[in-house]
Amino acid sequence: MTETPVRFGPEDARLMGVLTVPDALPAAPLACLLINQGAGHRTGPARINVKLARRLARQGIASLRLDLAGLGDSDAPRGNGGHVEQGVADLLAAMQLVETMTGIRRFLHIGLCMGGVYGAALAQQDPRVAGLLLFDSFAFPRRRAALALALRRIVALPFNASLREKIANALRGRIHGRGAQLADAPTPEDHAQRFRAAMSALAARGTPVLMLSSGSLHVADRGHDQLGEMAGEPFAQHIEYRFEPAIEHTLVTLASQRVFLDLACDWARRVQQRTAVAPAGAAAGRAARPAPALAGC
Amino acid sequence: MTPLTFGPAGRRLFGIFHAPATGLAPASAVLLCPPMGQELFRAQRFLRVLSDRLARAGVAVLRFDYHGTGDSPGDDEDGDMAGWQGDVAAAHAELRRRAGAVPVAWCGARLGATLAAAAAHAAAQGPQHLLMWDPVLDGAAYLRALREAHASVLIKSFCLPVPGLRRRLAAEPDAYTEGPLGYGLSARLRQELRELVPQRVALSPAHGTTVLAMPQDATAQAWAEAQRALARPVQRVPFAHTWGWTEDQQRPGQATMVPAEPLQQLLQRLRAPAEATA
Repeated sequence: MTETPVRFGPEDARLMGVLTVPDALPAAPLACLLINQGAGHRTGPARINVKLARRLARQGIASLRLDLAGLGDSDAPRGNGGHVEQGVADLLAAMQLVETMTGIRRFLHIGLCMGGVYGAALAQQDPRVAGLLLFDSFAFPRRRAALALALRRIVALPFNASLREKIANALRGRIHGRGAQLADAPTPEDHAQRFRAAMSALAARGTPVLMLSSGSLHVADRGHDQLGEMAGEPFAQHIEYRFEPAIEHTLVTLASQRVFLDLACDWARRVQQRTAVAPAGAAAGRAARPAPALAGC
Repeated sequence: MTPLTFGPAGRRLFGIFHAPATGLAPASAVLLCPPMGQELFRAQRFLRVLSDRLARAGVAVLRFDYHGTGDSPGDDEDGDMAGWQGDVAAAHAELRRRAGAVPVAWCGARLGATLAAAAAHAAAQGPQHLLMWDPVLDGAAYLRALREAHASVLIKSFCLPVPGLRRRLAAEPDAYTEGPLGYGLSARLRQELRELVPQRVALSPAHGTTVLAMPQDATAQAWAEAQRALARPVQRVPFAHTWGWTEDQQRPGQATMVPAEPLQQLLQRLRAPAEATA
């Protein structure tokens, strides 16, 4: 494989990334877009995006790991748009670069936490996205899951000073107002609407979606709990849903990383096989009948 | 800002060169020797901003990732102290090739400072000045802090009761040292870190050194005094800051990617390395 650092995007607000290309590309090649988790660097927590890029390359999948505008080594954005719109613009520039450098025109997006929010918005509007993996990006826990989390916290509270501090900070935030946050931070309703719109579009297009949730953020799940009331909506049948209780949100343990990498690479391989046999129209994003969810649902 | 790869064929490294934004030839150059693991992950944006500011002041800057870290080739577990010291020397050669024959300062943070101090002994036409920010001088303590930070993240993240984890930390000296905070450490590197003691970190007499360390860092203070007693030109500057090298050190409400105090402090000392040496 080759790894090439690249600068791209608008002349007055350059983006930075590393393009990883396998030694040999298959007949219907894919490239995976990997971006920041939160405000962190493009390499990802515990260097997970580097590890993922190299494993994907061994499977014949190229990737571009990049810093969104204002993060890592990328310049600050020049526009005044919202952060999701800016993120989508950055990802579109990334796709353009990949196509120019490799000829690849179909993409996967693996988004960690907030990274998946940008990926969902991109996939909703751009049919070149052939698969979307959301890791702890959206969660609408039902009462049962919320209660499980509350119970876990209550049990841990007497022994866990950091948890007490976390709760005290949250309370202080409610009383005094939060500190720095995104100016256009969405309300929970907006967030849910954004998810519903994106997932509906992807289901209609037959684009595979894996929604993966960690045990550290969500504690318990008895089946699609994180989809909340949306579990009954038609698009939910299209989502491949995984809850992994042993995975930690920032992949801080090596065991978490192994599970995550195995899941992500297996999912990518299945999307790769699927797109390899898909008709050209599907690749171009023509509206299609919802496809059955991938194995493992 | 130019991303690049450099170094010998079997050990290429990822780096970013910042030419002076003035468009003029640089008056001086700075090599940034970053920390490791999560400390590097958290510091990346800070290093970018620091480099930009230095470039605006006419200083050429090279920052890079050691083998097996950041964007450089290699796996987490491939890192070792001697190899990383060689990476510092390779980065220095690359900086000199790009910046020309100008005074060069090295700025190392945490373990990067320790590596830089060691690498300066062997580097051809090495630095005129070395700035060490919160250097790691006691490897065992560093390893201990990393595994405690690791346990702390697990405790916070999973909302776990503490006693079991604390018992494991106390009973098993190696608990959580294989991959503290998610970054794998080879058995060899762990052993090298355990053997890292202040007495084994020696400064070269060929360059001046400034040690920026927290006022309560008694190890850094004692070490700087010992080096001075050996006639090494060392200046120790107590430097209190609120930057948390790891997530668990970050105080609530002070979570910033680019902390102002360290930025100003480093800028002030790196703009003119020749003056700092004098």
